[in-house]
Amino acid sequence: MLEIKDLRVSYGQDVVLNGIDLELESGETLAIVGESGTGKTTLGLSIMRLVEGTVRGSIRFNGKDLLLLTDSEMQQIRWSQIAMAFQNANNVLNPVYTVLDQTMEPMIEHGLKSRGEARDRAAELLRYFGFPQNRFSAYPHQLSGGEQQRVLLAMALTNDPELLILDEPLSSLDAATRAGVGNLLKEIDKHCTKLVATHDLDTASKLADRMAVLYGGKIIELGPTQEVLSRPRHPYTRALIRAYPNMTMVKDLQGIKGRMTRPASGCPFHSRCTQAIDICQTKTPQLVWNEGRQIACHRGGIITLLSTRNLTKSFGSLKAVDSVNLHIEAGETLALVGQTGSGKTTLAKTIMGLHQPNEGGVYLEDAKVDNRGKDFYKRVQMVFQNPGESLSHRLSVMEAVMEPLDIQGVGTKEERENKAIQVLGEVELPQTGDFLNKYPHHLSGGEMQRVAIARALVLDPALLIADEPTAFLDASVQAKILKLLLNLQEQRGLSMLYITHDVAAARKVSDRIAVMLDGKIIEEGLSNEIIAAPKQSYTKSLLSAASALHPTEYSSIEQ
Amino acid sequence: MHIDLKKEIKESGPGKTGLFILLLMVAMALLAPVIAPYNPYQQSTASLLPPSLSHWLGTNHVGQDIWSRLVFGARTSLLVGFGVGILSTLLGTIFGVSAALVGGFYEKVLMRIVDAFIVIPMVIVVILISAYIRPSILTLILLLSLLSWQGGARIMRAQALSLKERGNVTAAKSFGASRFYIAWRHVVPDLGPILLVDFIYGVRRAVFMEAGLAFLGISDPTVVSWGMMMRDALSFSYLNVWQWWLVPTGVALSLTIIGLTFVGHAAEPVIEPRLRGVEIA
Repeated sequence: MLEIKDLRVSYGQDVVLNGIDLELESGETLAIVGESGTGKTTLGLSIMRLVEGTVRGSIRFNGKDLLLLTDSEMQQIRWSQIAMAFQNANNVLNPVYTVLDQTMEPMIEHGLKSRGEARDRAAELLRYFGFPQNRFSAYPHQLSGGEQQRVLLAMALTNDPELLILDEPLSSLDAATRAGVGNLLKEIDKHCTKLVATHDLDTASKLADRMAVLYGGKIIELGPTQEVLSRPRHPYTRALIRAYPNMTMVKDLQGIKGRMTRPASGCPFHSRCTQAIDICQTKTPQLVWNEGRQIACHRGGIITLLSTRNLTKSFGSLKAVDSVNLHIEAGETLALVGQTGSGKTTLAKTIMGLHQPNEGGVYLEDAKVDNRGKDFYKRVQMVFQNPGESLSHRLSVMEAVMEPLDIQGVGTKEERENKAIQVLGEVELPQTGDFLNKYPHHLSGGEMQRVAIARALVLDPALLIADEPTAFLDASVQAKILKLLLNLQEQRGLSMLYITHDVAAARKVSDRIAVMLDGKIIEEGLSNEIIAAPKQSYTKSLLSAASALHPTEYSSIEQ
Repeated sequence: MHIDLKKEIKESGPGKTGLFILLLMVAMALLAPVIAPYNPYQQSTASLLPPSLSHWLGTNHVGQDIWSRLVFGARTSLLVGFGVGILSTLLGTIFGVSAALVGGFYEKVLMRIVDAFIVIPMVIVVILISAYIRPSILTLILLLSLLSWQGGARIMRAQALSLKERGNVTAAKSFGASRFYIAWRHVVPDLGPILLVDFIYGVRRAVFMEAGLAFLGISDPTVVSWGMMMRDALSFSYLNVWQWWLVPTGVALSLTIIGLTFVGHAAEPVIEPRLRGVEIA
């Protein structure tokens, strides 16, 4: 019923929408999601033909191209067949009309109803949205933001439009009111097709069947709302979800590196993307179908960085790692949780090539890893459990952090030194000569672990395997180190395999959790799903034994 | 490896004595041309003279000054000693550490070879070989080194096996380090004190072997050596000359070996910390 093809809108030099392709079925609700400035409102205004810039492309509404209609033809459609509830209620309402008169206006203007009918209809709609009857004769400036919003929604619905464009319909409402109004919006005429432009993922998830993620004037991911929200496939969508405070996710909030820019060429997100390759800078990716949704990404969405297939490692008759299948996506944290002796460290060391697997293999970006050379270790690094052991007592901080660069033969000595100093700064350690010349036994546990982390990061790895990186540390230091790791994920798109026995910590840093018991992965899934609804009884007991602050009995872990 | 070698030696009485004797011998060898009044190879005056102001220890059967020969003899003795010490420790380290780090078939073969050498009585083999080839000093150093690195290699291998399991070695591997890098940067530095003890043992063994071979008359006859001097002195045992010919030479050799033994013994807890606290007689 609505078909948008290659819609391009620009205000002078500024390109706001850059080739939007969108189809809406009759009766469905589509959410347009994106940060402010991505062009959501412009998209709505273009459909209404209220945009003041240059518009190219086509917008077919029931077969008619709206962009080709004359102004008077458009006037007929606007507010009767296509209506829009604007975002900025304050500026839209005419200050000299009362609420009721204002709501009646679209009906009278289009001559669809008599004055009396229009008055009844307007009153009915205002009541529907919970606007108090005794304030029908109030003027806009006398209303609260929430009341103004209700008036706008009522106005948009007066002529029973086929297509309703809602621009941030709920954002000026508080949470309790939002729930009420949201429900009302959901209930209104099922035949009405709705386009909801919002930055609020909660609104999108509750109102929309499908959602399109807009970035830099382009749709970068489009699919069924629930699927997109629980398993985002575009790096930007994932980043957006990670930055959104909500009650579903358990991981700490993370931002998106950099600022939104509108690059002249290439993927609009490439400068902030952590898995960008050369082509992303030069060629704009097209929105293509990929496993049930549409994604605009040269790499087909978030890539799988490393996977193990059927990986088995036994020591004699003991199968320490037993047919383990795991995958780690670029930029995500997979927490490997299990009690001591469950084979977590053996799995990590087998991935690192410090143990030879008996069966199965490790795949880096879908290529099997046989002989690990320097190339492999440049991309995959590990932070070991005990920093006191893994740092040589003969190497100073500087020498220790430079060691991987020395081994890999990167750059000149001066470049290596500068890189080491820079990474020490990233892990928030002093960069003074005094500190650089210290030896491990001069350092505290937290400092040692930071040096170890800096050493693992100095090669700019794509994947960091962190084996109980905070096991020997105080809670306060642990918190700092976990924050640091999350920050590095945000800045560099670092993927992490975070190995721990501490479910409470895992839940704060991980996107997914895999539970390991006796060498096997017994349960794996999104962190919030594992935490909220564990399937295995072992996982349940692990969760109930995890650290909590309310007084309960100690619960024992059953196997 | 948190045992301080310097401290071990300093705190032991015999250790200090040994070090003093050794330094004395080394000084004598280094300063030989200054200390010795005559050329040790040239006939200076009449044969078999008793000690006098011009010839402190008299002269030998061909009229060479015994004191000068004694002083120059220290050079031969210590040259062979330190040469063999360095070379055999080097070989022991290379083979011991590489066996531990490479492992597998290489290690098995190497360690069986080491076992075989340890079983063979070295003294007899050296005597037999020397009797045939009459080694020069350089050949002698090579020969003794080739026959004496095996014991050190075993200790070095055992130590490297434990060192290579340390976290810092695992970490280095995870940066893509080669075996050579691991050996050089992470294993050998931690072998330091053991290397020194192995070296001292090597020196002692070589000093003793060199003197023994020369005494048997199967070393290079053109080089002054304490062993050869004793052998020559013994053939004149029916005269009084042994008092100033045989005795001083014997004392010099014994002191050198005692000095090395003392230092070695004091440093031994480095290899075997359980020995600590046991006083040597």
